[in-house]
Amino acid sequence: MTHTDDKPAVQIASLNKWYGAFHVLKEVNLTIPSGSRVVICGPSGSGKSTLIRCLNGLEAYQQGTVTLGTIRLGDNARETALARRQTGMVFQSFNLFPHLSVLSNCTLALRRVLSMPRNEAESLARHFLEKVRIPEQADKYPAQLSGGQQQRVAIARALCMNPRLMLFDEPTSALDPEMVKEVLDVMTGLAHEGMTMICVTHEMGFAREVADQVVFMDQGSIVEQASPLTFFTTPSHPRAQSFLNTLLH
Amino acid sequence: MQFDLAFALSTVPPILGAIGMTLLVAAVSCVGASAIGFGFELVRRSGGWGGLFVRFLIDFIRATPVLVWLYCLYFILPFYGIRLGALATGMIGLSLYYSGYLAEVFKAGIDAIPNGQAEAARALGLGRMDMTIFVIAPQMLRNIAAPMGNYFVSILKATPYLAVLAVPEMLGRAFDIASDTYRYAEPLTVAGLIFLGLALLISYAIKRLETRLLGPTAR
Repeated sequence: MTHTDDKPAVQIASLNKWYGAFHVLKEVNLTIPSGSRVVICGPSGSGKSTLIRCLNGLEAYQQGTVTLGTIRLGDNARETALARRQTGMVFQSFNLFPHLSVLSNCTLALRRVLSMPRNEAESLARHFLEKVRIPEQADKYPAQLSGGQQQRVAIARALCMNPRLMLFDEPTSALDPEMVKEVLDVMTGLAHEGMTMICVTHEMGFAREVADQVVFMDQGSIVEQASPLTFFTTPSHPRAQSFLNTLLH
Repeated sequence: MQFDLAFALSTVPPILGAIGMTLLVAAVSCVGASAIGFGFELVRRSGGWGGLFVRFLIDFIRATPVLVWLYCLYFILPFYGIRLGALATGMIGLSLYYSGYLAEVFKAGIDAIPNGQAEAARALGLGRMDMTIFVIAPQMLRNIAAPMGNYFVSILKATPYLAVLAVPEMLGRAFDIASDTYRYAEPLTVAGLIFLGLALLISYAIKRLETRLLGPTAR
């Protein structure tokens, strides 16, 4: 294990990405200290999902650098794999493996990537299922669970790999309203334990309560970056003001 | 000349005696065609020159008659010093021929898997090989159990082609009896009915497998 605690968890410098002629990310600079909780918000198409997908190599980018701890992404495949191993990701559509039980969803990477023996992997998986409060569902299949339960399994699955950084890509956007809370509760618990988190979300209550930085994106750029208090009370950028107005009223 | 039921029944034991050869050829060819077809599809997906070549190869295979493949492998390869027995040639020929069709089935099965599955696997750090074996292949099989079963039945029904190489399978045996007795209707009917029974059995097995695969785990 390398000593990265004095380094920021994530450092994004002059990041640029194009889809063909479309400039999705424009000169994005962002430093995220270890242990901080960042909420990224903004109108759809502003590049927020693309940005966090660049952080674990799911999206390629054309210019700039992304550094996770001491590892610079994209230098080579081995480094990217290493960085990916330290990053957990939770998707909007859960993306659980439908042919595997809840327990096997959690143990697959432990066994194949970390070569952990079956017993050890299963007890670790059960520990994290306990933590997201669904230990009793371990032997069911994803299709037998509610959306909120599936997303909590997805969080447990990511936590099993002992990530230093958790990425959430609109984790509650595909959920029925009454299931949003159970997922946000798990995420809030995680934040209180000091996990470094980057979360793309429109849950402004969560941002206000949990985040220590709110990043607002518009048309591929970060146009405002502030503490939640400042962001929600006195947003400086007009685009952020109008976004908050439509969201809060 | 009338259909002689007693004679027909007397041909059942000798024809059934060749069922083992028919099943062996069919089973090996199903496994071979699936393995080669899956390999073809993976190479085709990876793109590049290899992918382009495999794409051409699949079209080439599908555009030529299976008998041509069997004759070519059997009669032309020895010119180049490659001597395979009739049985091996037959099984390789059927495997190659049907691999082209199965590659298309696998393609449809993989295309139907949502992108998020591969993304989740990559995000968890799974390598390409582990992702293919543990995430993609099982979901692909669920998607294609029915069409794959159809091709398995087709392979079973293609085993009589091996008669041209004198492999002693069921239809070949039926023809032997016919040419000895000058009675064709009875032995060929018997062979046909046995094939029908086998095909129905495979279809039933595939259906059972499909319900089991889809059971509680359906999306």
